[in-house]
Amino acid sequence: MLKYFQIWNFILIAVFAILIFAVLYPILFIFKASFVDPETGAFSLKSYATFLHYPYYMRCLRNSLFVSTLSTVLALAIGIPFAFFLTRYEIPGKNLIRTLGTLPLILPTFIGAEAWLMLLGRNGLFAKAFRGFDIEIPSIYGWKGIVLVFTLQFFPFIFLMVSAALKAIDRSLEEAATNLGAGRMRVFFTMTLPVVTPAILSGALVVFYLCIENFGVPVLIGEDFRVLSVQAYNEFISELGGNPSMAGALSMILLAITLGLTIFQKYWVERKNYSMTSLNPLEEKKLRPLPAFLIWLFCAGVVFVALFPFAVVMVASITKTQGPVMYFGQFSLENFIRAFTIAPRPIFNSFFLATTATLIGIVFGIVVSYLLVRKRGPVSYLLDILVMLPLAIAGTVQGIALAATYNKGFIVLTGTWMILVLAYFIRKAPYSIKTTSSLLQQIDPSIEEASINLGVPPIRSFIRVVLPIMMPGIVAGAIIMWVISLAELSATIVLYYGPWATMTVEIFQRIGSGDFGPASAYATILIISVLIPLFILNRVSGRDLASSL
Amino acid sequence: MRVELSNITKLFGSLRAVDNVSLTIGEGDFFTLLGPSGCGKTTLLRAIAGFYTPDSGEIRFGERLVNHIPPHRRETGMVFQNYALFPHLSVFDNIAYGLRARKVAKPEIAERIGRIIKSVQLEGLEDRSPSKLSGGQQQRVALARALVISPQILLMDEPLSNLDAKLRVSMREEIRRIQKELAITTIYVTHDQEEAMAVSDRIAILNRGRLEQVGTPTEIYYRPESRFAAEFMGSSNIIEMDVTGWDGDHSRIAAETDGRRFTLRGQKPSGARITLSVRPEWIRVVAGPWEGEANLLSGTVLGSTFLGSMIRYHVSGPGEKPLVIEIHDPGEGNIRKDGETLWYQLPSDRPLVIRG
Repeated sequence: MLKYFQIWNFILIAVFAILIFAVLYPILFIFKASFVDPETGAFSLKSYATFLHYPYYMRCLRNSLFVSTLSTVLALAIGIPFAFFLTRYEIPGKNLIRTLGTLPLILPTFIGAEAWLMLLGRNGLFAKAFRGFDIEIPSIYGWKGIVLVFTLQFFPFIFLMVSAALKAIDRSLEEAATNLGAGRMRVFFTMTLPVVTPAILSGALVVFYLCIENFGVPVLIGEDFRVLSVQAYNEFISELGGNPSMAGALSMILLAITLGLTIFQKYWVERKNYSMTSLNPLEEKKLRPLPAFLIWLFCAGVVFVALFPFAVVMVASITKTQGPVMYFGQFSLENFIRAFTIAPRPIFNSFFLATTATLIGIVFGIVVSYLLVRKRGPVSYLLDILVMLPLAIAGTVQGIALAATYNKGFIVLTGTWMILVLAYFIRKAPYSIKTTSSLLQQIDPSIEEASINLGVPPIRSFIRVVLPIMMPGIVAGAIIMWVISLAELSATIVLYYGPWATMTVEIFQRIGSGDFGPASAYATILIISVLIPLFILNRVSGRDLASSL
Repeated sequence: MRVELSNITKLFGSLRAVDNVSLTIGEGDFFTLLGPSGCGKTTLLRAIAGFYTPDSGEIRFGERLVNHIPPHRRETGMVFQNYALFPHLSVFDNIAYGLRARKVAKPEIAERIGRIIKSVQLEGLEDRSPSKLSGGQQQRVALARALVISPQILLMDEPLSNLDAKLRVSMREEIRRIQKELAITTIYVTHDQEEAMAVSDRIAILNRGRLEQVGTPTEIYYRPESRFAAEFMGSSNIIEMDVTGWDGDHSRIAAETDGRRFTLRGQKPSGARITLSVRPEWIRVVAGPWEGEANLLSGTVLGSTFLGSMIRYHVSGPGEKPLVIEIHDPGEGNIRKDGETLWYQLPSDRPLVIRG
């Protein structure tokens, strides 16, 4: 390495310090706490013994695995045909269906849960309507509702990954198979399906992970049906200031699962991926009217069912309400007026925290990307793992870890807004790092060298030549970061305190107390705040939000 | 500006990418580093540019030791293999980049760019973005950008390798023309021996990080100092012979292989065996084994390639390896078929023995 690049060594140390402070140390802290007896302070396996001994806790684990598995299977059942239909056949309104089909990914899951409660809950619109005909529809509460929301919101992951894999298949592959004498079915089962299988597996793992780490949906809709993330939260909240041992143990179990999934995904599934560059993508087939209609009906129907709840929330926000009772058909702006005048603070909080975290995240992302791509050294691998680690940690777990670690002692952050920014920034920075580092990888180092050779010092060369080229990617990464920070609930709910409640916390609490009107108003503000930047991003750079997730 | 490299060594891990290379590149020389991929030529060039610090050895520009001068203060102009044009800047801004870094006044920038653009024939393309240019035009922009700062030394890293064959020939002539016009010391890296011969004043042949030979194109072609240099610079038949005598008065070596006797021009051999490098076009085909003719050999035609102005035979020769013989303008009636016996003669009037 060149001598005058030594400044990068200092930066490297600083980056590691931040990562250890915000990720590694807190996780190790609750890891340790989970082995400490809350009363005596001595080493003990009591929490784990409790977990194994009481059916109550084991049931949480079983429940988590059950809803995640079922939702993943259903998401596959919807996502795979959805992807095949949209990439292989000519369907009217295809681009719109594709765009709308990816939206559920970015819309907060707990808002989806709220919507289904308003439709099928005890006082729900549909529930009441059906009761009018003396039909009792099955209860939304418990695992059925959780699986419904998970399936509808996470199937786009399968769709996106499978359709990306399908698009990477060159036409000649199928032609070669046909030329060798395979019929249409044979081509599909011996060539197309095996080639996209790694993508299907990848997608399934991602969905399973998203389900098991989710907090908002099961807590709102699950009622007595407890899952791990919710139980960890409950243990932590009810014992805050007391002992985080049981919460730590549950967190560790959840962490073991999510980490295992991520490692499995990275080292096994990704290695199975076939790398192909498709010059001529597969042809879109034209269908006869009836099959075309049926396929269209399926795709449009899926999109409609997935997005309808969000429309319901938006309508509810301008509907007259009284507690849980909604007077659909009678419009009123009261909910918004209340949100903006009586309690505008959560709106400000959400924007302030997300923006601050994003700004820090941009700088951090650029620096880390540069270290990972351009300054590869013996510790790059470690840096890569550490910086991506938060993606494998459930939000609730990360929240509990941070809150427990910086609750007392040398550095106290619990109860400040800084800890929220820290959590957002460290959890969402990987998204920005992914986009910036893949862009940086495409920029030949000789571009920088040319600038240096022309007389501009290295760091200034980077700023003047590389940054402008990376700008579209940086902006895209920043928007993604901002949007998902804004919609963060699972870590926020653990870390916030009184005046720093965000919109997501507000929505969560209002739903809990049955105040669907004001909850919907905040939810609508949140939905719009999420959609507008993504819409602009899509218009300006033609980027799919999906490509950045 | 003279460039002097003394005992340069650059290690990548345990690999000696450049191994104890010493070179002097004269003021205004067009100097080429030639060798196969992985021979260390690019590493050496990048060490001169300052992107690598040699593990040992000294680099001097003129009298000044530059080992510890960072690349952005070395005042070299570099043309990269992939041109490395800034994609977000127009042609004009690309070329102006180095001048602006030097805080040159605006009118002067315009004036100097006007001149260089004319010199590399890019008039009218100033506002284009690099992605809208052909390969040849991009190459010219890269060259203009490197030259406009009036560097002391011009460094070029395989600048023509991304162009098609025809364009390569015209561009190399243009590069040579501009270089002569500016009389700028130029260090040029290529793996293409024909390109190297066409443009260079002097060539250094590198192999596995080591210097094989330094000299003018003719010196290396006619008097290669190693088997590698002989085979890399053009093609050559390598023949080994046993020395049987030395005639000091006429500088003649008597040698023998496969029971045939040869008389060759050359200095006193140092050992009992000598290695000959015989260019394919130096071998003469003769009608038959006439009395008194020296250095005659015969072989069977194993194959031939007819290229119009020339025919190339593969003929069985002394030792196990077939020889390549090239006959210019062979004449339609004289073309030999496969399997025929061919009599041919090695020249006795030029040095064939590889020294060193």
